[in-house]
Amino acid sequence: MSDSQILVAKDIRKSFQIGDREVGVLHGAHLSLNRGERLCMMGASGAGKSTFLHILGLLERPTEGEVLIDGQDGWSLGNTQRASLRNRTLGFVFQFYHLLPELNALENVVLPARIAASHGDSPLTLQEATARAKQSLEKFGLENRMDHRPSQLSGGEQQRVAIARALLLDPPVLIADEPTGNLDTATGGRVLELLLKEQEERGLSMILVTHDPRIAEACDRVMAMQDGQIQSDTGVEIPH
Amino acid sequence: MYQSFLSWRFLTARRINWVGIIGVFVGVTALILILSIMSGFLDQQRRMVRGTLSHIVIEPSPLPHIDGEPLPKSAKPLLSAVLEDERVEAACAQLSWFALLIQGGRGSAYSASRLSDTTSAKLVGVQVVGVDISDEFRTTELRAALELPPEGMSFGHVPVDDPDNPFAAPPGEDSGGPWAWCIVGQQLAIVHGLHRGSEINLGTMVPDPMTGEVRQSNRKYLVAGTFRTGENESDLGRIYVDRAELHDFLATGRDYSQVLVKLHDYEADGEVIAKELSSTLAAKRLLRSADMNEVKTWEQYRRNILGAIENEKVLMAIMLSLVLVVAGFSVFAILTMMVAEKRRDIGILSALGGTRSGTLWIFLLIGFWDALLGATAGAVAGVLGATYIDPIERAISEFFGVQIFDRNVYLFDHIPAVVDPVSVAAIVLGAFICTLLFAAIPAWRASRLNPLEALRYE
Ligand SMILES: Nc1ncnc2c1ncn2[C@@H]1O[C@H](COP(=O)(O)OP(=O)(O)OP(=O)(O)O)[C@@H](O)[C@H]1O
Ligand SMILES: [Mg+2]
Repeated sequence: MSDSQILVAKDIRKSFQIGDREVGVLHGAHLSLNRGERLCMMGASGAGKSTFLHILGLLERPTEGEVLIDGQDGWSLGNTQRASLRNRTLGFVFQFYHLLPELNALENVVLPARIAASHGDSPLTLQEATARAKQSLEKFGLENRMDHRPSQLSGGEQQRVAIARALLLDPPVLIADEPTGNLDTATGGRVLELLLKEQEERGLSMILVTHDPRIAEACDRVMAMQDGQIQSDTGVEIPH
Repeated sequence: MYQSFLSWRFLTARRINWVGIIGVFVGVTALILILSIMSGFLDQQRRMVRGTLSHIVIEPSPLPHIDGEPLPKSAKPLLSAVLEDERVEAACAQLSWFALLIQGGRGSAYSASRLSDTTSAKLVGVQVVGVDISDEFRTTELRAALELPPEGMSFGHVPVDDPDNPFAAPPGEDSGGPWAWCIVGQQLAIVHGLHRGSEINLGTMVPDPMTGEVRQSNRKYLVAGTFRTGENESDLGRIYVDRAELHDFLATGRDYSQVLVKLHDYEADGEVIAKELSSTLAAKRLLRSADMNEVKTWEQYRRNILGAIENEKVLMAIMLSLVLVVAGFSVFAILTMMVAEKRRDIGILSALGGTRSGTLWIFLLIGFWDALLGATAGAVAGVLGATYIDPIERAISEFFGVQIFDRNVYLFDHIPAVVDPVSVAAIVLGAFICTLLFAAIPAWRASRLNPLEALRYE
């Protein structure tokens, strides 16, 4: 593993126990993500993309294999350290936004900083985090929505809040699982534009799962996942 | 900390949490109120159990001293020996015997017919107690019992003309004979329609200490007034007369049956003093022996009934603690529901870097807020309620036009309530422990959830 790689996954296998049946989903998937790289992952529904992302994102333990984040084997850490690593190095954007309904937009964005503080290694004070959160919400056109609850926001607005939240602590890696999958084309386009722009400006690495070939075109590299394995991982060639 | 921040948000966002808070509130309020009132009742009961006694009771055996020498027939040597002890504040001798109230006399025809009615099979037994009035006043509460009882308790009260000298014939009263004056319990006076100057005829039987032969005699007394101790047994069945007069009437044996002793500081070392008195008095041949239990504190004297009272208190506290269990259970039910509802949010927190223990704390803290808000408000309401229970009860009774607490039934002039800070603290602590234990179960389950289950499918 070279210094240029921020995230490496080796021979990831995952199977689920359903009743007394073992169902294999991932059969030795590899991945390496360079710093500042924008990687797109495609594949049929049920191919195991989300499962793979969760393993990369240290949310679900693989049956076999290791995930190195900045050289650190994420799955060999203890629960608390892994949670802290997730907090500081990984930003998630989900298809269904996943904001906390009890908090308003601003509070949702600031939440990662609060959690970082509970790990005792917050890079920001609460004031700094709030200021930064306001800044990005303004930048995303939500200056009048800061004290709105998620239920009072449109899907596009919610996803922009979720992006601001993912970016708050400046994590080196962004993981986005069909971030526009739940939005209409026009809104999705604008949200994606915003996400890509931020990633570009901040020089973050990103793994983006999408079904949309046009989005894939905007990526540095495209991977295709099929039957639990990475089938093609080459250049910008797009499988049609 | 995001845990306390989120727990507060989760708490306030869902109105159902009020149920938990109110549960704890009601539990704590009810416990404090009921225990305070029970304590008040039991305290009153305790005071009444002590009733006409003082701190220490000396009841010399009817038998001679163990070396064979009979105990003195007069109370004097015992009294002066007791008073020698400087921890003793006062002492009095009493001569106590039982008598039948044979018939009401002049001015009480109603009770006369009742008392002489043999078909009713009702015999009115009374305890006649001969006292040295000034010693008695210094040692027991009898002097206060002659005063006008508090409002609501005064029905039937017959004031003694000169309370400092109750056995003296009131000026201008025609006694109608050479009879002595007595004071009777207020309830007794009510039952038999006695008033000042009423004649009563006391009949008694006295065994001769030598021959064992029982001699019958009776004597008339005049009612000088009533006393009220609050102890039903005394107020309904006791008559005080002068001790020398009673000794003359009974014409037998010792001129006293017990000596009551008042101490300067009973609470500090009452039992020790009782023990020491027992041995010094026995050494002086004023008691049969040092270890015949002739000297007792009033609590030893009334041990059975006091033990029952204490028991009652403990039992009550244990049973009432179930209220807290119910409150804790409502918190448990609500939190279990919330955890189920918040699976997705638990997953989100995990994705943002939250830990399992963080999740545990969020739900445990919701329980903590329930306990804090409920118990604080409950403690305030309970203490205020217990303190002002009397006016509150009066207001409610007035509002609904129903007498909730009948003061006459209990012979109380107010609802007794004793707020004990230690009990209040214990109840609040108990509420916290109970609520947190119940909250811990759903909180633990929340922390064990697989966050992805929730995140993956929508
Ligand atoms: N917890 C689980 N238990 C059992 N099977 C699971 C579990 N999670 C995922 N699977 C199975 O694993 C396979 C891959 O699912 P995954 O969500 O990773 O697919 P995907 O590529 O993201 O699909 P989509 O494009 O529809 O989001 C599916 O067949 C799914 O049913
Ligand atoms: Mg998926």
